[in-house]
Amino acid sequence: MAEAAVQTLEISPVGRVEGDLDVRVEIENGVVVNAWTSAELFRGLEIILKDKDPQAGLVVTPRACGICGASHLTCAAWALDTAWQTEVPRNAILARNLGQLAESLQSLPRHHYALFMIDMVNKNYQNSPFYEEAVKRWAPFTGRNYEIGVTISGKPVEIYALFGGQWPHSSYMVPGGVMCAPTLADITRAWAILEYFRETWLEPVWLGCSLERYEEIRSYDDFMAWLDEKPEHANSDLGLFWRMGVDIGLDRYGRGLGKYITWGYLPHEDRYNRPTIEGRSQAVIMKNGIYDGATDTFAPADQAAVREDVKHAWYDEPGGLHPFERTVNPVMDNTIDYDGKYSWAMPVRNEQFGRLEAGPLARELVAGWEQGESWQHHDPLVLDMYRKMGGASVLLRHFARMHEAVKIYREMERILREFRLNDEWYIKPTERDGRGWGATEAIRGALCHWIDVEGGKIRNYQIIAPTTWNVGPRSDDEARGPIEEALIGTPIADPTDPVEVGHVARSYDSCLVCTVHAHDAKTGRELARFRVA
Amino acid sequence: MPNVLWLQGGACSGNTMSFLNAEEPSAVDLVTDFGFNILWHPSLGMELGENLQALLRACVSGEIPLDVFVFEGTVVNAPNGTGNWNRFAGRPMKDWVRDLANVAQFVVAVGDCATWGGIPANAPNPTDSTGLQFLKREHGGYLGSDFKAKSGLPVINIPGCPAHPDWVTQVLVAVATGRAEDLSLDDLQRPRTFFSSFTQTGCTRNMHFAYKVSATEFGQRKGCLFYDLGCRGPMTHSPCNRILWNRQSSKTRAGMPCLGCTEPEFPFFDLAPGTVFKTQTVMGVPKDLPEGVDKTGYIKLTAAAKTAAPAWAEEDIFVV
Repeated sequence: MAEAAVQTLEISPVGRVEGDLDVRVEIENGVVVNAWTSAELFRGLEIILKDKDPQAGLVVTPRACGICGASHLTCAAWALDTAWQTEVPRNAILARNLGQLAESLQSLPRHHYALFMIDMVNKNYQNSPFYEEAVKRWAPFTGRNYEIGVTISGKPVEIYALFGGQWPHSSYMVPGGVMCAPTLADITRAWAILEYFRETWLEPVWLGCSLERYEEIRSYDDFMAWLDEKPEHANSDLGLFWRMGVDIGLDRYGRGLGKYITWGYLPHEDRYNRPTIEGRSQAVIMKNGIYDGATDTFAPADQAAVREDVKHAWYDEPGGLHPFERTVNPVMDNTIDYDGKYSWAMPVRNEQFGRLEAGPLARELVAGWEQGESWQHHDPLVLDMYRKMGGASVLLRHFARMHEAVKIYREMERILREFRLNDEWYIKPTERDGRGWGATEAIRGALCHWIDVEGGKIRNYQIIAPTTWNVGPRSDDEARGPIEEALIGTPIADPTDPVEVGHVARSYDSCLVCTVHAHDAKTGRELARFRVA
Repeated sequence: MPNVLWLQGGACSGNTMSFLNAEEPSAVDLVTDFGFNILWHPSLGMELGENLQALLRACVSGEIPLDVFVFEGTVVNAPNGTGNWNRFAGRPMKDWVRDLANVAQFVVAVGDCATWGGIPANAPNPTDSTGLQFLKREHGGYLGSDFKAKSGLPVINIPGCPAHPDWVTQVLVAVATGRAEDLSLDDLQRPRTFFSSFTQTGCTRNMHFAYKVSATEFGQRKGCLFYDLGCRGPMTHSPCNRILWNRQSSKTRAGMPCLGCTEPEFPFFDLAPGTVFKTQTVMGVPKDLPEGVDKTGYIKLTAAAKTAAPAWAEEDIFVV
């Protein structure tokens, strides 16, 4: 058609860790051909932390993100542990891991029902044979399972409160251990809460089977056989999500960069009691690694290889610096210029591998890596799906996230068995100067903090969040960021209601809100704007 | 059907996350049972039939009556008073806040950022952030000390980092059911129901406070956190030990010192070196004493307490 228009969509906003995020998309003949992601809120926490008490990060950084506060606290504590060369008792490692996992378990139903599944009841899908049932279950507020899912999401963090006092925003993890010293009553109550979560949602609503049956699934073929085995499986929320997702084509777009990073997480309780930056990878239960889908190869992920570019970000600093060398110098004029600077997020890259995607998919692909110790977690399922399904997609990315529910649950169970209530929870450290690095996996991906303590105060504090990896703008070599890349090729059925863009953005769980503005690129006329969170 | 609009400025979404933990009533119940019409919320709302900007404009013009405007996060004024470091729906967020506050029946600030500026306003306040009607303890903030919503009430402050979900839902329900006149506010515009008593009220470590038996280190099941670990429970107004967190516990019960996060000075001492999790003292006496207690009284009280302290107070007695 003569007017086969290039249309532009602007999504504003999408983010929370870095703040609000705008996404601009160009559509040609019904397919996304170019994309830019732009973070629109600057809070300057790293500037606030400069010259403060070395422990200020334990108070400030959980407030970087109310959704991933426990993950930030985990990083802040381990960063100080490595800087101060502390000894961390076994109980404390377990208690930190439990807090991290409780937050992650909370996020699964909350993100799934309150954010992701809302898109599945979009009117664009009313011709899907699954649509009527989807509306019954997942319509916001009124859907049967929406209410169950949103309400159950508050339960796992009750366990966090037993150990940390409250969620969100506790600071119970400190260098040398944890502040709490739980009792048998706390452990028992935590067990009961876990059981309630399993009996109310995880088994009957989400899986439609027992944890044990689900754990038998080790390959793509196993999964498809499970789906067909019983109506309870096919009609569970997982079964219906999968079948409807395939029906509406979620397995056919949102591929992304095809290169992934995970720092790994959950230090083993007996293997990281003398924490060092170098020793971390060898101590974590969920493996650290980089996966390159194009060559089907793995490599270790090293914090020393992290670089941040600035050509397209609103900072006035040299590009290509390691976080230890950064100063965080914001520019005053943050006008959006897609050829120049257009985001508060930094484009993060690995010196050797370039831009990388962070998130549960990255974690689960690396979980399939054959290398590793017997006590490290190994799960071949998602890697097998990735290979058999021809790479990533909106469907697989979100599946990988929800697949973690059962393993998170199991690790929490294990931790509750491992506590030795009469042993110590805290070993008072000696404060000293030095550099530290702490990392974890927030539910939405690789998170880490760097700290440099000099003269008894913070000289430099730097955070790279999963959202930084995923929503970063173009790097200095003009390579697109992960979400920018994942949007390319997305089919848009109705340019006045491009729900597909929302699916892609949401599959990265790039924090919260997301409103789409659709413009005709030639006339500038606004076609539509809608919320996708 | 009260119309509620909830926006976030310089925020971490922590108050939203806390709000979603509510159970009686749950966030969903507010809609299905209490008839709230959530016009828009950053993470809860339904897809809008029309665009968000049009909705916001319709609120501003009065076409859609705005009953309750909830704001989470700071008002970002940087750079140079333009607010461009926090843009939302096509313009600086601060401009939306002014327009919406002027038409709302009630304006509710949820969390420290929206009430006093919170963590982002901590020195050097790089984003030139302020709360809606306060900056720290100074009255005025973004909307000015004379601001009153259409109902005649100033901004209702629900502080805390984050605010407890029950504090938020109870205020929303009161406002929506026409019981706003029952909301009595203190001089920091906080509902007295929640912020008259102290964080220490109901703390399981109160006996140790009384006998001046200190938890000198973390990871203990005995001792009060006030004497050495910087706990602000006796000086902080909140119901954290009356209305428990996540239905289970509180920070002080679990062994974490209160940081005083419902007070405008949080984070205290600007997190200067040597102030985090350490009681600040002058000649062995805490700089900040329990509210209403003077230095002489404190010295007499603690001397007597020490003398009277029974032996069991030093034992592992499971206060958690």
